[in-house]
Amino acid sequence: MSFGKMKMFSVSHKTVFVVDHCPYMAESSRQQVECDVLTKSRAQGVIPLAPVSKSLWTCAVECSMEYCRILYDVYPKDKLINYIVSDSEFHILNSWRQEDQSIQELMAALAAVGPPNPREDPECCSILHGLVSAVEALCKITELQHEKRTALMDTAERVANRGRIICLTNAKSDTHVRMLEDCIQETILEQNKLAAGSDRLMAIQQCELVLVHIYPQGEDTLVSDRPKKEISPLLTSEVHSVRAGRHLATKLNILVQQHFDLASTTITNIPMKEEQHANTSANYDVELLHHRDAHLEFFKSGDLHMAGTSTRENGLKETVTLKWCTPRTNVIELHYCTGAYRISPTDVNSRPSSCLTNFLLNGRSVLLELPKKSGSKVISHMLSSHGGEIFLHVLNSNRSTLEDPPSISEGCGGRVTDYRITDFGEFMRENRLTPVSENSHNPSGKLPFERAKSQLERYTRYWPMIISQTTIFNMQAVVPLANLIVKETLTEEDVLTCQKTVYNLVDMERKNDPLPISTVGSRGKGPKRDEQYRIMWNELETLVKTHAAATDRHQRVLDCIIACRSKPPEEEERKKRGRKREEREDRTEKNGNKEAEDKSWQESERLKSLLDKEDQESEVIKDSPDSPEPLNKKPRLMAEETQPQERAKGPVSLLTMWTNRITTANSRKHQEFAGRQSSVNNKFELYQHLKEENGMDVHENGKATR
Amino acid sequence: MRFFQHFTFFFLFPQWEQMRKVSLDSNEEFQRKNLAVHGLNMLFEHMASNYRLEFTALMAFSSLWELLVPFTRDYNALQEALSSLEDYDKTCIESALHGVSNVFQQEWGSTCACQVILVTDGSLGIGKGSLRHSLQTMKQRGEDKKFPLPFPFSTKMYIMCVASAEELQMTDALDNLEELLRLSGGDGQIFTVEGPLCMKSVHAMFGRLIDYAYSPFHAVLHCGNLSSDVQVFPRPEPVVVDEEVEPMPKTVNTDLEIMGFIEIADISSPPVISRHLVLPIAVNKEVDEVGAGATDDLDDEPSASQVAGKSPNFCVLLHGSLKVEGMVALVQLGPEWYGMLYSQADSKKKSNLMMSLFEPGSEPLPWLGKISQLGPISEAAENPYGEDDSKSPFPVQPQVKRSYAQNVTVWIKASGLQTDVQKILRNARKLPDKTQTFYKELNRLRKAALAFGFWELLKGVADLLERECTMLPDSAHPDAAFQLSHAAQQLKLASTGDSQYAAFDHNIAPMHTDFSS
Repeated sequence: MSFGKMKMFSVSHKTVFVVDHCPYMAESSRQQVECDVLTKSRAQGVIPLAPVSKSLWTCAVECSMEYCRILYDVYPKDKLINYIVSDSEFHILNSWRQEDQSIQELMAALAAVGPPNPREDPECCSILHGLVSAVEALCKITELQHEKRTALMDTAERVANRGRIICLTNAKSDTHVRMLEDCIQETILEQNKLAAGSDRLMAIQQCELVLVHIYPQGEDTLVSDRPKKEISPLLTSEVHSVRAGRHLATKLNILVQQHFDLASTTITNIPMKEEQHANTSANYDVELLHHRDAHLEFFKSGDLHMAGTSTRENGLKETVTLKWCTPRTNVIELHYCTGAYRISPTDVNSRPSSCLTNFLLNGRSVLLELPKKSGSKVISHMLSSHGGEIFLHVLNSNRSTLEDPPSISEGCGGRVTDYRITDFGEFMRENRLTPVSENSHNPSGKLPFERAKSQLERYTRYWPMIISQTTIFNMQAVVPLANLIVKETLTEEDVLTCQKTVYNLVDMERKNDPLPISTVGSRGKGPKRDEQYRIMWNELETLVKTHAAATDRHQRVLDCIIACRSKPPEEEERKKRGRKREEREDRTEKNGNKEAEDKSWQESERLKSLLDKEDQESEVIKDSPDSPEPLNKKPRLMAEETQPQERAKGPVSLLTMWTNRITTANSRKHQEFAGRQSSVNNKFELYQHLKEENGMDVHENGKATR
Repeated sequence: MRFFQHFTFFFLFPQWEQMRKVSLDSNEEFQRKNLAVHGLNMLFEHMASNYRLEFTALMAFSSLWELLVPFTRDYNALQEALSSLEDYDKTCIESALHGVSNVFQQEWGSTCACQVILVTDGSLGIGKGSLRHSLQTMKQRGEDKKFPLPFPFSTKMYIMCVASAEELQMTDALDNLEELLRLSGGDGQIFTVEGPLCMKSVHAMFGRLIDYAYSPFHAVLHCGNLSSDVQVFPRPEPVVVDEEVEPMPKTVNTDLEIMGFIEIADISSPPVISRHLVLPIAVNKEVDEVGAGATDDLDDEPSASQVAGKSPNFCVLLHGSLKVEGMVALVQLGPEWYGMLYSQADSKKKSNLMMSLFEPGSEPLPWLGKISQLGPISEAAENPYGEDDSKSPFPVQPQVKRSYAQNVTVWIKASGLQTDVQKILRNARKLPDKTQTFYKELNRLRKAALAFGFWELLKGVADLLERECTMLPDSAHPDAAFQLSHAAQQLKLASTGDSQYAAFDHNIAPMHTDFSS
């Protein structure tokens, strides 16, 4: 995910390592490693082991592996390596395929090859076998090239084929080097002809040869360094003559940075416990490599030298120093981040490096400060791991044209105060996303994100945005049905639950339970009770109708509603007329009519008496970030609604019998006091009705603030 | 293509030649300067109503440059400055460009993008300091006297010529301006007057600039069936994904579709290419309808904005819930292009709905995996977030671990090798307690030595283990000696390269002794 300007199919898409495996590579590098480091206490009388020394082959292999390690850390995809070993023939150790791109694969293949055999006939052996094979490898199409060519169809020619050959060898002379270059040039021309007639091969458009001549320490080189030059329009070549050991390692480290646009950052002032003295801590530095765009801001502003850049011993490599800021708590924050680049520690096994990487892998983030001469503190970067990968995030520290924008409350819809913020929050949680395996097949044939969009569509077919626009979504009793009806398919059990919800509403209506109808716009008295139920049923029908066509079971829920709500046409008509009259009355009430106030007093008296038995009022969902924690909207047991003896009047219907059974079952469980049940932090306001007397409506504290 | 979140711009006024006057139909003579001021006023008026949040600065220049109005959103101030514009002596574009570069960087740094509008009559100065002279000499100059273009920040340069193309072609002016545009990065345009030079034609030219660069970006934000008309500010610019493979710039759809929601902790400060305010707007027609209905009953006719403020808007609902829940909404901007919506609070307790754009592509954030593979949680067998939100399906783990997470072996520095050998010896001295760790470290070293063809090391470590064996104290457990000589022997066998003993995947197993059971 680098924002680098590197083309998808630049020469860096394909890199072939060709490593010399001829007998002379078995020679010692003559750089000795003391691996028997004796501690003082044990030193007496022990003859230390003679130092070991790596062969030229070992040096070449470990440095090339380090090159690959850094590359795979920073670019786990689409920057591919093909590793070839050359002696009396060529040995291809892996392919361009993504699953072959790992250090483990290469290490295993290298172990199978083993070190060069010093007794093999040098006449039969040559690096040329490997170089010819490298050109052939560059013609082979990669998965990404194939994928893009297939996707582009008519413009498949836009997919370029370029590559780089890094040849680690011990050349005899400059003439020998020229011979190798000529040979590669010829092979490219030959292979390009072959590629023209094949689907799985592509002609090489550009090839960059990087020849690294390795010679033992203490010897003079027979091959001279040469900067990049053009051999032909297809081939450029450069020669690096390097002593084995440390120098070779440094060279390949510089090359990997050049080849893949990397840059170096040194994190300084990392506090670390001392190994010997656990109670003291010292400060350490750790160097990381990453895409150079992480320093883009410094480059652009010309601040690079101010930003604590230092030139290293070899004069080629620079590093930007950033200061560790000990993280405070793990605050979850959305930083404005303009880039995130994978890192690779330069010295991966050192204690400071592994301390830092383990700290990050454990989920902590570290902010990094840009030391400035002026003394002002600027946090410029952040180190953070995601899924076991560490990224250097670039934080924006510039001013922005988005500063001081008008608040959302000043714009459209900004003055509406009763948005269903909590309900929509619940909606968002239900519509969270999760990764779905690419192997899992869905009968609809839709991709997971399309299914997520379909779910959003279903969930929003009827979704009033403000509390005063809805009745049913303010009623706890409707929750089970509302949650189920939006599902793509319903089970028999779901249908039953929906039906129970409807029966429960019928029961509420029969008992004349009050509904949380909005009183906004009509202060004091709202619509009449039967009118309230009519509104509620209409709304419920609207909700369910939008889903009825989905399946037969959805339709059955709608049928149930239509069957249960009684509305003979004449009565409907009468109600309508009644409502018109009421509306006229309401308008007069608005003018501060004394009589209306009296009426509302009576109304609240009646509510008070109801409150003694039931907690219907608590069903109004106070929907605002300012209000206390919302009530848990898990479907509650229906038992709270009624007492069985109250309902046992008149002939017993099937519904009543069923409800009785459920209620008896539920009554065995503990039933909470109404007040405590609707309490907030164990506090319940008494005499809530007094507020209403004072002309405040229920939604007054349900104000949504932004 | 990178940081186009900030659009800010400058006006550059060269000297207006007093002699070049334009005849209008009424025989009234208008200076080209007046025409330009007229055009700019029109642009400012447009911006004041459609592009209010843009910061704008105004600069005049001659042999020296002068910042008339520093960056501001106060368009009245800009218009006032225009009305009191003086005449200057000479045209020297180069020094003015230096001025632009300095002023902009001081105020905004170099990651912001800037639109530079150069208003000219097409005369490019004479002699030293003229554009012609600057362009001719620019290649022969040292680092310290470099030509200011391209600027170190992303630039779009619009050159407004109060002259017709034919007029400009009579001299080399157009060629020089084109060269200037090319040097600026090429992302801009030259506008010339079409037809006779008059109020109307200059008006038309500025109109073309507005359409090209300052038309507000209007879109509809959808979340299933909920939706809202919005203006996205600053307007999102087209993005080129790969100049070679996909040279066609990708543009943001005018239908922005929410796909679902993700916790802020899970999206985890993602890198974005730009940030934009999402401002709900009232589509005029609807406001009128609502307004008409409301006037029946009320004496005071509410203004359109008051009505719009009072009718519920999805953006406000979304913003409120995103803020309370600490979540972001993932939004699709086009084919394989995604972004996120979230609540952004500034220091003064104001907050807003913001949209950040991810890099175009199917997998912009590795820790989310492919965006098209994100599905609704309802499909999962069990809630991946847990019943109590204690879990999360994110981050998505990559198939291969990075080197720093998998205990790789690197012996480039001698200390790396020494540490690994010492680890083995330390454990060797604690046998048989540390048998497991001893063999684990031994096998790690063995694998690396085999891969690197470093057989000499295997022999060396075998010798060391044999020496340890001879140095075991009398109190040592008898098993220790057995394990040490067994390990030494196995290493020696491996160092011969005999395929039976030197297989990479083979591990040296602890010797089974009577003591070890």
